[in-house]
Amino acid sequence: MTTDIAPRAAAQRPPARPQARRRTGGRVHRTNWPLTVLLGLATLTVFVPLYVTLSMAFKSSAQSADGNAFSLPAPFNPAGFAEAWELTRFPVSFAISLAVAALAVTLTLLLSSLAAYAIARNWSHRFFRWSMIYLLVALFLPFPVVALPQIQLTALTSLDNPVGVGILHAMFQLSFSVLLYTAYLRSIPIELEESARIDGASTWQIFWRIILPLLGPMNATVGIFAFLASWNDFMMPSLIMSDPTLQTLPVVQNIFQSQFGTSYNVAFASYLMAMAPTIIAYLFAQRWVISGVTQGAVKH
Amino acid sequence: MSGTTLYQKRRHTGARRGVEPLYYLFLVPTLLVFTAFVVVPALIGIFYSLTDYVRFGDWSFLGLSNYAALFSDPRILESYGFTLGFAVVTVVVAQVIALALAVALSRRIRFATTLRTVFVIPMVVSGIVVAYVFNFLFSNSLPAIATAVGFGPLEESILGNPDLAWLSIVIVSAWQTIPGALLVYTAGLTSIPTDLYEASALDGASPWRQFRSITVPLVAGFILINTILGVKGYLGVYDVIVGLTGGGPGTATSSVAMTIFGGFTGGDYAYQMANATVFLVVTALISVAQIVATRGRAVQL
Amino acid sequence: MEFDHGRCSVSPGSSRSVSVSRRSFLAGSAALVALGVTGCASASQASGGGVALRFYEQKQEVIAYFDELLRRFEKSRPGITVVHDSTVAIAPQFVRNEPADVGCFNDNLELARYIKRGVLGDLSDLPSARTVRTDIGELTDQYATYPGRTSVLPYSLAAAGVIYNKKIFAKHQLPVPETWSQFVDVCDELTKAGITPVYATDRDTWTLWQGLFDYSVGSLVAPGEFFHRMKELGADVGPDSEVSFEKDFAVPMERAKTISSYFNKDHAVRAYADGNLAFGKGEAAMYLQGPWALSQIALVDPGLEIGTFPLPVSENPDERQARVNIDLGLWIPTASRRQDEARELVEFLMQPEIINAYNNDNLAYSTLTDAPAQEDERLAGLQDYVDRAAFYQGAGTFVPTSIPLGNYLQSAIRSGNFEGMLRQLDADWRRLAGRGATV
Repeated sequence: MTTDIAPRAAAQRPPARPQARRRTGGRVHRTNWPLTVLLGLATLTVFVPLYVTLSMAFKSSAQSADGNAFSLPAPFNPAGFAEAWELTRFPVSFAISLAVAALAVTLTLLLSSLAAYAIARNWSHRFFRWSMIYLLVALFLPFPVVALPQIQLTALTSLDNPVGVGILHAMFQLSFSVLLYTAYLRSIPIELEESARIDGASTWQIFWRIILPLLGPMNATVGIFAFLASWNDFMMPSLIMSDPTLQTLPVVQNIFQSQFGTSYNVAFASYLMAMAPTIIAYLFAQRWVISGVTQGAVKH
Repeated sequence: MSGTTLYQKRRHTGARRGVEPLYYLFLVPTLLVFTAFVVVPALIGIFYSLTDYVRFGDWSFLGLSNYAALFSDPRILESYGFTLGFAVVTVVVAQVIALALAVALSRRIRFATTLRTVFVIPMVVSGIVVAYVFNFLFSNSLPAIATAVGFGPLEESILGNPDLAWLSIVIVSAWQTIPGALLVYTAGLTSIPTDLYEASALDGASPWRQFRSITVPLVAGFILINTILGVKGYLGVYDVIVGLTGGGPGTATSSVAMTIFGGFTGGDYAYQMANATVFLVVTALISVAQIVATRGRAVQL
Repeated sequence: MEFDHGRCSVSPGSSRSVSVSRRSFLAGSAALVALGVTGCASASQASGGGVALRFYEQKQEVIAYFDELLRRFEKSRPGITVVHDSTVAIAPQFVRNEPADVGCFNDNLELARYIKRGVLGDLSDLPSARTVRTDIGELTDQYATYPGRTSVLPYSLAAAGVIYNKKIFAKHQLPVPETWSQFVDVCDELTKAGITPVYATDRDTWTLWQGLFDYSVGSLVAPGEFFHRMKELGADVGPDSEVSFEKDFAVPMERAKTISSYFNKDHAVRAYADGNLAFGKGEAAMYLQGPWALSQIALVDPGLEIGTFPLPVSENPDERQARVNIDLGLWIPTASRRQDEARELVEFLMQPEIINAYNNDNLAYSTLTDAPAQEDERLAGLQDYVDRAAFYQGAGTFVPTSIPLGNYLQSAIRSGNFEGMLRQLDADWRRLAGRGATV
């Protein structure tokens, strides 16, 4: 396939410029308003539950229990946050959750991308093909099957702590991540690497310098999934971690759920505080996904 | 340039070529860790299903009697029926909406980034919050609206209706999982070169034609991944049901995962491990069937 | 040379490798922090040359209360620190063979599993063991025993009955019913007056078997003996067997059906929290709940005048009994490596000042032989029954969790077919016994 400079250059230029519009006939560069409005309406399905969550967090204890979820907080009472902060030992639990999630994400990204690259580039060899299927099998494993033996395993190897939980989270993400990476890698043409090889680059260098950057959108996607799976996970930390003072946020929140009783405002304040990092993580990773859009046009 | 490219292609596709050792270094550590932490525990767990282990203390070997009992247990069979039906319905609903959203968001619309962020939020909200909010919506808001409008069937909360309760599970499950599928489709759509669309537009193709002939084949791989993972995820539905209906009314919305977890936390551990093993096989078979049925559809550029 | 390749190698994987290295740095340091914290935690346990005990207590409403008690114990016994473990699931600890040193837990079928397998140590030689009422101690035996051992010391007895709104009763001049027909009359009067007689919360299925089911069975069936016989019959349970759900629970379920006809219209979609809210607002006259609901109701209306009476299910007022359960019991696993210190903690908690104060403050009854009466007015109606040991442990608590009793009750209430439900219970019981289920 020969390189064609013109369309690529056009795609690289920001679409709002008048020259681009005139160049490509103007069709795709007008804002599609009907679609925008439609999507705007669809966002209601997200905003309504979000509104309820937010307003509950700022209500007083009494008002949050009156069963009227749609009412606005009156009086506006942010005291729930302070109470939740103390009850759940927020700084400590937050730090531990973060450590576990960070470990899980890093392990997942590293192990999966390396494995997927090896598999994708050696698909013609049986060992690699079978490895892929082997890794995929875990996708279907229901958690209860492995849960108990994992408890015993982590206790034996002294991994019944945040480190062990992080490792296990990564293990559960492996299958899905390798799947995603492999699919994406297959769409990256081999010519890139071949020309680099001719230039004398080693496979190691090719992976770090060429492939990994190109995997940007997938890194972000895999990273987000891994982060969320780990951050919101309740079952595994509650089962695996033997030291109760080192528990992650979801587990600590659960302990105090009944103590909140009808103090829903404290409960929701606590959930909101736990949701903040996930939103930030997504915003952070979203930039890579977006830049992947413009990069995708570059590949050809 | 073309001459060099051709030469490289021929060289690369030779099957006799040996594997560079470095590739093994990329793959084997992952395989080892995976085996130790996932496969070995899975095998042990499956072994427990052949015993009467109660998670500690003494146990005795029972052979396949747990499995025999499984197949004659009407509640287990009922839960499989419900779970399978639920998974099929939800995966269709969720994938259609997710793909539509992904395509819509890749068009020239205003506020694309903001919209994209908004639609990912459901994935970020924790399960307990989702359960509470939707509980309220289904139990209070929906009936209130239905009464105001005079739409009879919805005037009682669907959560209390054995025939309609499953709908609530479908809605909430889809709501939670559409963002994930959306992300995958978004990343996948980026691999489609825009000049394809431009060229076809110049040839006079309508947006729908473009979607059918360009978008779908090229993201077919991702549609397949999402569907397989979606079905697998929905087959394991648990949190949503516990939060919304508790398996009820009666046993109308009891899923397989619920019965398995019940045995895991309560008594009957080994029996439910047998259930879990059967579940594993069923899930794997369904996914394999999906792959085989759509073989060759994924188009490479 | 491809344009792309050059471009990629020029931007030195800039944002990508930076993001990867940034991530790995973050992860690395986070992991180090986690390891450090873990190390510190275990180090602090060993430091001070003292002993660290783990006290397992996860009843959420009293976590703070016990925290205080533990701090008092630490002061009285320098050299011992106690960690309060409130993780929700107790099983993983036994799976790891690292159970807490002292457990303070609800005595039920789950605990029975541990008792039967002999993993809980014998406490009969403790001085405080002799101060416990024998009739309460026998309650634990109904679930399980381990030969020659007292595996659990009952710490707190909770008694439950029908919670009723005194003002509504007074307003309509209704007496506290002493017989079944009186109860039905009261319900009819309330219905005529347009008041919901009983508030039910079907969505939380546990409220169904704990309230409707257990109270209906009440004094009509002695659960200890019934379930003992059922276990012996195993797979032979059926319509013709000596005991069966279908036969022995027929009358109780008729009672239950009648009671359910007096439920609030929206019972199918109401949850426990809704129930507390509604009753607190005075929307119903009676509520089939235990003392744990009282504090929740007080949150809604602290001034609400409430009382409790045991549900009469026969025509003989003397047959009335209160539903009880051992809300908290103390135990020490055999696997604990700090047996002596653990026993000291148990002795500390069993001191009359402490155990009586706990029960008084938390709407429960102390298990000691000379325990003072429960001062809370709302529970006054049950005191007599507790004193006379006119009580029973709820039948629902004897049903293994693999039989979804609560869900079955949901269906039965909706369809009115309670006989079918009882047959279903028998069938499930047979199936469980048939495969030697370990429950």
